[in-house]
Parts: sequence; C-alpha cells; structure tokens
Amino acid sequence: MSGSDPGKLISKADNLTTLSLTRWSADWESATRLYEQAANGFRVSKDYENAKLAFEKASKGREMLSSPWDAAKSMESAAALAKELRNWTEVIDFYRKASELYMQCDRPQFASDSLAKAARAVEDALPSDAIKLYSDACVLLEDDRKEQMALDLYHAVTNIYVKLEKYTDAVAFLLKLGLAADKCNATNSQCKAYLSAVIVYLYAHDLKQAEKCYNDCSQIDAFLRSDQNRFAGKLLSAYKEGDVEEIKRVAQSRSITNLDSVIIKLARKLPTGDVAAFKTNAAIGEGEALDENDLK
Amino acid sequence: MTVIDILFRVDEICKKYDKYDPEKQREANAFLDDAFARLYSLVEADIEKALAVRFLFSYPFLLLFSFQTLIFQINYWNKMQKSDKVSTEKNRAAAVALSAEIRRIKARLMEEVPKLQKLAKKKVKGLSKEDHETRFDMVLALPDRIKAIADGSTAAANQSGGWGTSSSNKKIKFDSSEERFGSDFYQQTEESDQFRQEYEMRKMKQDEGLDVISEGLDTLKNLALDMNEEIDRQVPLMDEIETKVDKTTSDIRKNNVRLKKTITQIRSSRNFCIDIILLCIILGIAFYLYNALK
Repeated sequence: MSGSDPGKLISKADNLTTLSLTRWSADWESATRLYEQAANGFRVSKDYENAKLAFEKASKGREMLSSPWDAAKSMESAAALAKELRNWTEVIDFYRKASELYMQCDRPQFASDSLAKAARAVEDALPSDAIKLYSDACVLLEDDRKEQMALDLYHAVTNIYVKLEKYTDAVAFLLKLGLAADKCNATNSQCKAYLSAVIVYLYAHDLKQAEKCYNDCSQIDAFLRSDQNRFAGKLLSAYKEGDVEEIKRVAQSRSITNLDSVIIKLARKLPTGDVAAFKTNAAIGEGEALDENDLK
Repeated sequence: MTVIDILFRVDEICKKYDKYDPEKQREANAFLDDAFARLYSLVEADIEKALAVRFLFSYPFLLLFSFQTLIFQINYWNKMQKSDKVSTEKNRAAAVALSAEIRRIKARLMEEVPKLQKLAKKKVKGLSKEDHETRFDMVLALPDRIKAIADGSTAAANQSGGWGTSSSNKKIKFDSSEERFGSDFYQQTEESDQFRQEYEMRKMKQDEGLDVISEGLDTLKNLALDMNEEIDRQVPLMDEIETKVDKTTSDIRKNNVRLKKTITQIRSSRNFCIDIILLCIILGIAFYLYNALK
C-alpha cells in the first residue's frame, strides 16, 4: 500500500467517505488512514498543494473519529505546508483551527503554541494579524497561569511594534511584559522590560513620557533596587543635561547588551533628534519654579 | 612623742619667737619703705619655688624621656606598669596636680608684673638713678622668666615618648612651628617624582584590569539570572512530566499483569491436554471413516 500512488489513495479514501446507495455510513477510520498515507506521499514528492488538501481531509476524519488531538496535529501539518505555499490566510485559518482543537483537548499551552507559530509565519507579511495572533496566544497562557511562557511572546510583539514604529504600543506591551514577569517573580526580566520601555520612549524622542514611565516604574521595589534602575537614571539625567557624548557613553555600557537585540539597536541609535531642546526646557522649568516661590 | 609632733612643736615655737630673730627682722625691715623691692622679692621667691618643685618632679620623667634611653624607658615603664600601677597613677596624678598649681602661680605672678611696673616708676628715697633703671629692666625680664617656668603643656611638646606623658597634653597642634620645616621640605626631588609617576601608572593599569573584570562579571551575572529564570520556567513542566510518566508507568504495569494472566490462562497445561485428546479423537474418527469408505 505504501508504494502506491498517493492520488489513487486519495480517490479511494474519497470513495469510502462519500455516501451513496451502496454505502450507508462513511468509513472514516480507513479513510483517515488512507488520507494520511496519501498526504505523506505527496509531501515526499513535494506536491505541497495536494499534501495540504490531504492533511485537511485527514484532520476532518480524525475529528469525526472524536480524536481532536490527532486532528489538531494534522491541521498543524497542513498549516506548515500552506506556509511553504505562502498562502497566509490559509495559514492563519489552519493554525486557528488547530488551536481550537487543542483547547478541546484541554491543552491551552499547545493552543497558544500553534497561534504563536502562526504569528511567526505571517509577521513579515501581515504584521497586524501577527500582533492579534500573539495577543490571543498570550491571553490563552495567562488564563492558564503560565505567564512565564508568555514573556517570549511579548518580546516578539514588541519587536513587531518597533518595526512598525508604533512606539507607544510597544511600550504598552513592554509594561504588560513587566506585569507578567512580576506575577511569576522573574525580576530580571521585569527590570529589563522597564528599562527597554524607557529606552523606547527616548528613541521616540519623548522625554516627558520617558520620565513619567521611569517614575511609575520606580514605584516598584524590584526595579528600584536593580542595576537597570541606576542605568535608566543615568540615561535620563544625561538627556536632561543635553550632553550627547554622555548619552552615547551611557548607551554603550554593559546593561544595554543584556537586553533584547531590537532594543539594543534602538539604544545604539540614541540620541535621536536634538537634546539641547531638552536642556533649555529643563532650565526654563527651573526658572519658572523660582519665580513662583519668590515671595514678595 | 613622734617625730612629726616634735617637728610641729618646733615650728610653732619658732613662729612665736620670730620677732626675736635679728636676721629675719632685718630682712623684713629692709623693705619696709620700699614696696617695690618687697613685692619683687616675693615674686622672685615664688619663681624659685616653682622651678624647684618642677625640677623635683620632672627629674624622673626627664630621665625617662631622654631619646637615647628610649628602650630602657619602655622596659622601665613596663616594669612600673606591672609592679606598681597604682603608684604610677598617683605619681602622674600628683604631677598633673602640681603642673596645675604651677600654672596657677604663673598666672598670679603675671598679674603682679604690671603692679611691679607701676611701683618701679615711682621714686623711692635712698635709691640711685642706675638702681632705678635696673629695677625697670628687672621688671621687664620678669614675664619671660615666668613664662620659662616649665609646666605640663610646653614640656610635652618637646617629649617624644612612645606612650602618653604624665602631664596631660590636651592641646592638639596640626601646624606646629612652621619654622621647623625648611623651604626644601616641599620641593619634589627627582626620585619622589618618578615614584609618583610610577604609582599613577600602576594605578591606571589596575583600574583598566578591574574594568575588564567588572564587564565580565556583569555578563556572568546576566547569564546567571537568565538561566535562573529559565530553570524556574522548566520546573512546573518537569512536575507535569513527572505526574504523567508516573501515571503511564502504573498503567503499563497493570496491563502487564493482565496480559500475563491471560497468557498463562491460554497456555495452561489443562487446555493443552484437552487439545491433544480432541485431536486424537478427530484423527481416530477420520481413520475410521477412511477405513469404512475403503
């Protein structure tokens, strides 16, 4: 049987499943077996389109046989082949179906895993869809109280946002990362997340927001006591003084190299824009303060 | 009667009959008209007394504080400490009290000096002009002489003992007598310059080395923290794996037992004998039929 033409197997399996006068009930078991064999045959001969179809049908068969686990696995294989064919919508559909099936098996980790795979596949082509997939995956994990697994996903989302230059959204996700890390006591990741948030704000040349963010994060004990806190403080004070050399020097230090690669790239490009403006603003701010306190 | 009693009695008698002592009367009368001379003689007497007492008490310590016998001093001091600590205490306390007394006398004498100056200006009958001037000079010389009386404060500055002096020295001097350091003191010699440069160079090299080490440590720290977090992440997964594997092992064991039971049942000897007998019966029947048909 293994040597025969996969096409023949497919047609045979189709015959088994279609209802007709001679057949009153579909024989899903043998059909599924045949479908899987055909799919493997097509994959070996690099006929991805047919292999994908075969896997789809096999998955359906498994579903009929009430084994959602195997159905999900077949669906994932189909999705992987769709990725080879660069058929992004199909990829997303298949992976979503697979994750639903995994949830039926009560395995949220695998579900989120398949969503993450989907996101990774489409992040270049359809970044917004990828973001949606990643967020759904994170939600699944958090519901299952497995936030630690979600940390990588948050990083991935942040990277996409940075690529899209949507810095506020990136910071929002970094803070969510911090929250997740806090829940599972991953203080190092938490502090790195907050530092990355400050750096992203500075890259977006928004000193006020950066300072606000820094102050908010300083409320947290773990961050306050960390090296990353000191580094962020140094960076912000360098910005306030408008000293470009100082900023460059601080940005080259060790703490940066421990962060995510995308954030490192941002940090290396600091300072963006004109830091002297910040300096004058700061001076004016102080002058005004003096006037207000001047008792006549 | 004790010696002390005798001494006291003798003193009393002498005092009573002092007025009959011709020499003393002559002394007392000599300065009757000359207030200056009287006061001056009193001041002189006080100075002498102070010096004598100071000398008496400072003598053993002068011996101890001589530079050449420093080691001897230390030994002596140790011995003193070991054997007679109390007396040393008393001695020091007494010396301290005495120094205080001397300082008081000095202060009093310094107060008397202006009085003497005034008196010296006054004219006294029976005194020549030269005597008058010499009196003035003597009065001028008095303050120096008074200051020269050693008391605890100045003595300690000149002593260099390894241990605390008996006279308590409470004055801490940071910039004591600048005349002691010549102008050459602060000039850098070539050697010291070189030494300083070498020191700076070495310090710089050490700093560089320490920087490298600190970078390496930073990396290590970060790696360790990340590994820590990763392991924390793996822990619940391992727990899950453990429970699942336990369940699977128990399932397999159960199945094995059942299988074994079934196999033994199937392959039991009773069934085997029954099979053989039935086989023989069938063969017999077949043979009989064959014979009958033939």
